[in-house]
Amino acid sequence: MSLENKTISEKTAELTKLVEWFDGEDFSLEAALDKYKEAEKLATDIEKDLKSLKNDIQIVKQKFDAEN
Amino acid sequence: MEKSPSPLIFSVSDFIAVVNQTFEYAFSTIQIEGEVASFKVNQGKFVFFDLKDSEGSINCFMTVWQMRAPIEDGMKVIVSAMPKLTQWGKFSLTIKAIRPSGEGAIKKSFEVLKTKLETEGLFAPERKRLLPKIPQRIAVISSVQAAGYADFIKILNDRWGGVEVNVAHVQVQGEGAPDQIIRAINYFNQQELLPEVLVIIRGGGSADDLSTFNDEPLVRAIAGSRIPTLVGVGHEVDTTLADLVADVRAATPSNAAQILVPDKNEIIHLVRYQLGSLLPKILQLIEQKRQAISDMANQIINNIEVTIDNQFRTVTSLKSVLAQLNPNAVLARGYAIIRGVQAIGETIEVETSKDIIKAEVKNVVRK
Repeated sequence: MSLENKTISEKTAELTKLVEWFDGEDFSLEAALDKYKEAEKLATDIEKDLKSLKNDIQIVKQKFDAEN
Repeated sequence: MEKSPSPLIFSVSDFIAVVNQTFEYAFSTIQIEGEVASFKVNQGKFVFFDLKDSEGSINCFMTVWQMRAPIEDGMKVIVSAMPKLTQWGKFSLTIKAIRPSGEGAIKKSFEVLKTKLETEGLFAPERKRLLPKIPQRIAVISSVQAAGYADFIKILNDRWGGVEVNVAHVQVQGEGAPDQIIRAINYFNQQELLPEVLVIIRGGGSADDLSTFNDEPLVRAIAGSRIPTLVGVGHEVDTTLADLVADVRAATPSNAAQILVPDKNEIIHLVRYQLGSLLPKILQLIEQKRQAISDMANQIINNIEVTIDNQFRTVTSLKSVLAQLNPNAVLARGYAIIRGVQAIGETIEVETSKDIIKAEVKNVVRK
């Protein structure tokens, strides 16, 4: 799945996983730069997504003042 | 002389019907406030009581299903009713709706119903369902003209986005409000694709305004909702039975929005913090590696120095032993070296630390 198609939750989970990698046993300095760039891209995307999302508010047409 | 028309003669039942027609025309629905007396329920269905004040009393009739809140003798109530003359000629009020009136009666009714529903386990913590962490689709029941609704939407939009919000506009106070809210609850519960959360909100108001949310059928409808419920009614100090029966209770409509969705600004802050914590982490690890390499180099240098010291001590020791073995050192202590055949008449050479002496052997005695 490309980054564009992922939800904010998925991107946040991915970022958390990346951050955990830096604290984990698999950490290597050689891979750290690529991982950091990946994390930076995710963080930018999450921030952009959060700022652009709008709620879709619809008033139900049904009337509730009497039995239908 | 003109003949006067003959007076209209009614049968008894026709007259009763005409009186009732007149009542219906004049007082289709009237609201009367009074005190309940001689309250009784017959056959578990029919409710009879007197509505009185200091100077008068009227018989009242209704069914138990019309009672939205517990009623007791001595309680002050407001009834919506239609006057009626029964076929036995007795005047009574047929009650359409009844609600406690005044702070004391509202409180009393609230406590009686609260105890009843509590005994049934409707407020039990084990009944409470969790709300989704970040809902995608929610249903809101409120009056869209109310300040509480505006607060809720503002906080919701400030905190989060991308949520599909369907709003049922209902009356949130007054006689018809509980039934409207119940219909809205049923409407959302019958949707093919159920909302993830059902939010019921209204802002602050008087005890009478908020009494809508102490209506027994409404409280039971909230309890029976297939959709997890979040109720935020009134101010922080107000507690209604709808609050108590909800899966999650919010102190106010604004608080309901805070409970419902996370704050995107907090998440942005957290994401920035997480990212910001990575670079120092990398630098710290580089520093750790550098320190480890430096420690290893120091260890190697140290090992070399120790080896050299050991070698130096060995050489010094050997030099000392060699010095002990030097013949000059022995001669210096007073000994002499004799060279030549040690036999009588032979010439030998005697070397001391200072001289080399030629001498003739005069005698040899074996030890």
